[in-house]
Amino acid sequence: MNRRQRIVLVTAFVLCGALAVLGLAALSTATEGPLSSALGWLGAATGAVEHRIRDRLGGPPRRETLEWLEPYRDDVARLRKPDIVLLGAYDGGVPRTLDGVLALESSITAPMALVQVYGAWGDKPEQQFPVGVLTAITGLGSIPIVTWEPWLADFESARHPHLALRDVRDSHGLAAVARGDYDFYIDTWASEAARFERPFFIRFGHEMNDPYRYPWGPQNNTKEEYILAWRRVVERFRAAGATNVVWVWSPHVAYEYWDLYYPGDAYVDWVATGVLNFGPIAQWSKWWTFAEIFGTKYPRMAEFGKPIMIAEFGSLAVGGDRAAWYADAIRSIPRDYPATRALVFFHTRDDQTVTYQKVDWTLGDSTVATAVRDALSETGLACRSSTPCPR
Amino acid sequence: MLRLADWWFRASHIGQPILFVLLSLAFWYSVSRIVLGWVNYAALAKPLHREATPGRSVAIFTTSARGEPLAMFERTLAACRNVRYPHTTYLLDDTRDPRFRDLADRHGAVWLELLDVPGAKAGKINRALAQTTEELVLVLDPDHIPFPEFLDRVIGHFDDDRVGFVQVSQAYYNQSRSFTAAGAAEQTYAFYGPGQMGLYGHGACVAIGANCTFRRTALESIGGHGIGLAEDLVTAIRLHAAGWKSVYVPEVVSRGLVPEDLGSFYRQQLKWARGVYEVAFTELPRLGGKLAWRQRLSYLTIGTYYLFGVTTLLFLLIPYLFLWTGVQPAVMRFAEFLTVGAPVAVVGAVMYLVMQRWLCDRATELGLHWRGLMLKVACWPVFLTGTALAIVHADIPYIPTAKEAVRGRFLRLAWPQLALIALYAITLARVIGVRALGTSEGSLELSAEAVWGMVAFATLPVLASLGALYAAWQARRLPSNAPWDDVDVTRIGGVQA
Repeated sequence: MNRRQRIVLVTAFVLCGALAVLGLAALSTATEGPLSSALGWLGAATGAVEHRIRDRLGGPPRRETLEWLEPYRDDVARLRKPDIVLLGAYDGGVPRTLDGVLALESSITAPMALVQVYGAWGDKPEQQFPVGVLTAITGLGSIPIVTWEPWLADFESARHPHLALRDVRDSHGLAAVARGDYDFYIDTWASEAARFERPFFIRFGHEMNDPYRYPWGPQNNTKEEYILAWRRVVERFRAAGATNVVWVWSPHVAYEYWDLYYPGDAYVDWVATGVLNFGPIAQWSKWWTFAEIFGTKYPRMAEFGKPIMIAEFGSLAVGGDRAAWYADAIRSIPRDYPATRALVFFHTRDDQTVTYQKVDWTLGDSTVATAVRDALSETGLACRSSTPCPR
Repeated sequence: MLRLADWWFRASHIGQPILFVLLSLAFWYSVSRIVLGWVNYAALAKPLHREATPGRSVAIFTTSARGEPLAMFERTLAACRNVRYPHTTYLLDDTRDPRFRDLADRHGAVWLELLDVPGAKAGKINRALAQTTEELVLVLDPDHIPFPEFLDRVIGHFDDDRVGFVQVSQAYYNQSRSFTAAGAAEQTYAFYGPGQMGLYGHGACVAIGANCTFRRTALESIGGHGIGLAEDLVTAIRLHAAGWKSVYVPEVVSRGLVPEDLGSFYRQQLKWARGVYEVAFTELPRLGGKLAWRQRLSYLTIGTYYLFGVTTLLFLLIPYLFLWTGVQPAVMRFAEFLTVGAPVAVVGAVMYLVMQRWLCDRATELGLHWRGLMLKVACWPVFLTGTALAIVHADIPYIPTAKEAVRGRFLRLAWPQLALIALYAITLARVIGVRALGTSEGSLELSAEAVWGMVAFATLPVLASLGALYAAWQARRLPSNAPWDDVDVTRIGGVQA
């Protein structure tokens, strides 16, 4: 072959190979190797050691700004009945980076005791116990909240032949959870949670009473099935020795009969709900005040006698005075809703879970951040080492 | 394996698409080499010994070229005379040095002066074929010292009229003299043991320039011995395409020299890397139709062996690309890659060890062959050069494999390795600095696995480079005596005749 033929041949092979690679990647579905969790723990340990080295070289760690949290951080009994209000945040950069949380807290001068992450059920690596993120959160001195979503259809049929086929799996899927069909997955999480040792929150199957959102809602399941599934999950964790988990039950209080989904005092540590003001961006929404969303439901929530968490807290910009909304909401918490023990900012730039276009929940412009900061400071919700939290 | 493939080709794994494609090609090329190795081993076969029929006429051809040391021929020719089966030894000489003629006379060899023959060694062989008449011709490299029983182990196989050539194993007597020699020898053990036995099973033995016995009519049927950098391989393919069979005798019946210094080793590897591509580019397209599919697969495997240089370069660059720019060809968790890849790697390693059962000389050849692996990884610039030259169809001058180590020139040999090690050290320092002082606290722990995984990935070739560096350094002070000084031709051999 002459030079031109050779170059053409090599190029042709590379191109064919490239097409094959891309084709295969486009076709295939996801699976996850079970052994990788061991290496996940190794990776987390490496990160923790490195963090400690950095603290020694690079100045005071962020952990020190949360010194006042020390008595709570490793005391799960205290976290079940806290005597202070804990601030927290979910940030869109998680689990890639926690910098967004740090940026938020510096813009409102209030250290975040809680950091929320979302985790879906399934076979993929990112659906396994997130030891890396949890270790990173505790490394920064905060306490993690895992919102744990039972997306049952994410399990591969081929790998789990005992499960119903994927397109019908969600129908009464929680009954299957309650029966123990998903114990293979729950038990792995439970034993890893126990191994993690430090206390953290799990908000399992949130908004279970909303028939339009998630597959674990009432369009697929009965209340009784939900309650039995919840109890099953909690029991499996307890059986595995994961007593470090604080259980957060989180209905969508805008829908009627949400209180009928309560799994029982013995199975719930906290009662939570989201308070998100979408403003007039969709047909179903308008500009609601904090009191309209939360205040009307608070008395019933408080009746359970559990600490209350506002697990997703935020307002969009369109349709009203956003700074005033935040300031009003924060000021009302200690005054009107004293059972509230946690306020978790929903802080992400491109949320598309309920709307057709992306919406931005970040505080963004400085007037809003200033209003939030001032309100937190006035009410004493922003605990700092210099200003201890009011009890 | 399927699990690995299923996992690898997930759309969510694509980072930078072009790089992902390149990485996938490189990675799956490497995995396919392992699989092709198994395919080859599956056919593993060993021929039954056949007693040599008396009365065949046999020639031994050995060639001498300018610059090759006279003392080496002293041993070779003496040993040729000691070979028991009746034969005629020919020295194919173009040195214009009268001492070579004297030497041939003293050892009862026929001196043939073949001046200005194009095609180097193979050209001289073809010219000598025209001047001789023997039915069988053993082509012996001049550094190889045959054992007295050599021909007795080989000749019997020619009783089958369809057999065109019989190849024996290749072994060395100088591998303990340097790191390079040990590594270079280690690289050949598996090939001459289970490797060639598998090729024999597939009907695709490879003739090695040295120690191959040909049937004259077979060579004549393909117009003589092939010429070029991979003359031996080309000859084997042409003989098979012409319908001849071949036999591989996995026995050590001679010992020769393996490159002792890094420079000679690099030269030898460059020559092979450039030459072997001719199989893929020239011989297979031309003769592939006449070969059985098993032979085609075997020769394609051989013809693409030196792509190893290209894949190594890619594997080498990826961690640096990530650590300096953050660009990732594949979004894979490092821990996961290890988990999914480990079974394949473990099975591969176990197979490798199991296959050592079939090494030709287990007493000296058993082991992990880590020096061979280090040299192979460190050789990527050489393989890459060979690949590039082959693609643009450019020649490298014919360089005979150095029979005697060339001393010195540390830097000239070592600079690619030194450059890599320097790059590694700078990168490591930067990573440590950035992570200790310049990384935000919120990202530090979450990026630890990726960064340190990549650093570990970058460390492996550096270890190989350290081995090559040691080899280059050692080349400055090799043993001062010639390797053949210690060889006593009257006491070599040992297989029962």
